[in-house]
Amino acid sequence: MGKAMRRHSAAQLIPLSFTLNGRLQEIEVEPHELLLDVVRDQLGLTGVKRSCDVQVCGACTLLVDGRPVSACTTLAFEVRDRSVLTIEGLAEDGKLHPLQEAFIEHGGFQCGFCTPGMILAAKALLDENPAPSEAELKHFMHGNICRCTGYKKIIESIMAAAKEMRSEA
Amino acid sequence: MLRRFRLEEPETIAEASELLSRFGESAKVYAGGTELLLAMKEGLVQYERLINIKKLQNLREAKADDGMISIGALCTHHELETSPVLRHKLPALHRLEQNVANVRVRQAGTLGGNLCFAEPHADPGTLLTALGATMVAEKASGRREISAEDFFVDAYETSLQGDELLTEIRIAAPEEHFRSAYLKFGYLERPSVGVAVAFKLNGGGLTDVKIAVGCAGPSPRRVREAEALLNGKSKEEAQRSLAQAGQVAGRASQAISDLHGSQDYKEHIVGVLLKRAFQSAAG
Amino acid sequence: MQFKKEVEIRAPREQVWNFIWDVDRFIACVPGCKEAKTIEAGKKYAATMVEKVGPFKVEFPTSIEVLERDELNHIKAQASGADNKIGSRMKIDLDVHLRDQNGNTVVGFVANVDILGKLAALGHGIIKRKADQVLDEFAQAVKQRLEGNS
Repeated sequence: MGKAMRRHSAAQLIPLSFTLNGRLQEIEVEPHELLLDVVRDQLGLTGVKRSCDVQVCGACTLLVDGRPVSACTTLAFEVRDRSVLTIEGLAEDGKLHPLQEAFIEHGGFQCGFCTPGMILAAKALLDENPAPSEAELKHFMHGNICRCTGYKKIIESIMAAAKEMRSEA
Repeated sequence: MLRRFRLEEPETIAEASELLSRFGESAKVYAGGTELLLAMKEGLVQYERLINIKKLQNLREAKADDGMISIGALCTHHELETSPVLRHKLPALHRLEQNVANVRVRQAGTLGGNLCFAEPHADPGTLLTALGATMVAEKASGRREISAEDFFVDAYETSLQGDELLTEIRIAAPEEHFRSAYLKFGYLERPSVGVAVAFKLNGGGLTDVKIAVGCAGPSPRRVREAEALLNGKSKEEAQRSLAQAGQVAGRASQAISDLHGSQDYKEHIVGVLLKRAFQSAAG
Repeated sequence: MQFKKEVEIRAPREQVWNFIWDVDRFIACVPGCKEAKTIEAGKKYAATMVEKVGPFKVEFPTSIEVLERDELNHIKAQASGADNKIGSRMKIDLDVHLRDQNGNTVVGFVANVDILGKLAALGHGIIKRKADQVLDEFAQAVKQRLEGNS
């Protein structure tokens, strides 16, 4: 499921209890460990990506208590007693989230590298603002960069998902 | 990967200050980490200890109190961009906070951390300088107030002492007829030029004009020479002096040629932003 | 990055020239420079350069080599160093000219400064400003030393 981390013998270990995709996790981390590395390497969830590593591109976006954070620049211990959502946790019982459906239907991704972060950021947007204007959408999503699509399809996908989610609500 | 460090989590300002005093340059205050962790990842700095100050109480509220607006240093940009107090009392600062970096940086980054790291290409310091804000610095033995102007010394350097923490930013609640605006320009990840204006516009006359420029130079600075060109004038007279004020402000911005633009270009942009910020504030 | 500085010193040319080769007194004028050593008099020297910009500190063990020497007129030298902790290298090509003016000595120097590696991430602007500051302080320190101790 993930590899065991080699610990320095005199390491300061911080007990980390948090909810990951709805399930309780209890692990230990050292203060300097980054959330991105713990999620990918220790917990084996590789949907979150290391890309720019300076919290500019958004490929490492995770939701902590529903809010987007850069996992590449978040110390892992900061999620203690919080809930973390990765892309792997979005679908429920095998049923895709409306955002995932919309991205497929509207061609919101090509290579897919930015996509986990893009979808999670969009989820945070729509949870906060179920009917964003295009300007509001662009402002919120400003920090998620895509090199393939030119953004038009991403915007269409998010707007379509928003509409679907409003009609389901 | 970051180099290993020890985490300290003080629960009082006195404790935090004492840790800073004890460990000196081998320790650093850590809040949102949005600047600090990047510098550590780059290997530009390294610390044996990080002092997590997020457990300190009463530093995370924005409130209006007795003619003063008080912003706790640990308020995140996101908390400030959604603060009703800021939206109603300091709309220019509210709008600035909505546009800091990106949504993830706003979620974790604190106003206090932004000001203390004193990265030249940042927004809040410039507007706070034009608003005449004061920073409250505390340590075990007491507290003092530093004007925003005196707070920023140089690039990455503030006038905080080694064992002091920035705890609060205080701004006089704007009175009637008070106007302010902040505009920035940049096409790289961080802003290249930022200009803030603040003034009272009463019956067609301008008073208490404050102009600050930032991002182009090492730290935000007020430009009194440019203020003098607008102060005491009617709105129309001031508008006619904007070009000259812009030139003065541009020269005072300490711009140098680099990847953000040539010195000439930045000085020119200062003038453009001053004009637009003034129009935006004056209405 | 190129820097050009000129400083007029109220001291005769020979005194200024001799001051330059008095390694300990000369190095004391360079801000952040310490532990100067003569490896080969007139040709090779070593020193440690310590500079700080806010929280960013660099320590460059520096070797200095004199490439040309025209007695009382001109020196061409090169200084280079590396800070392995921060992964940066520094190289300075220095041209120093002396000339008379109104009974004083004018020292003009042209410095070509290259900073490579991580430090460059701080931004060209910050480094340029810092280098400019260091050279200004250096020029003033030389002037004060020579005018003060006559």
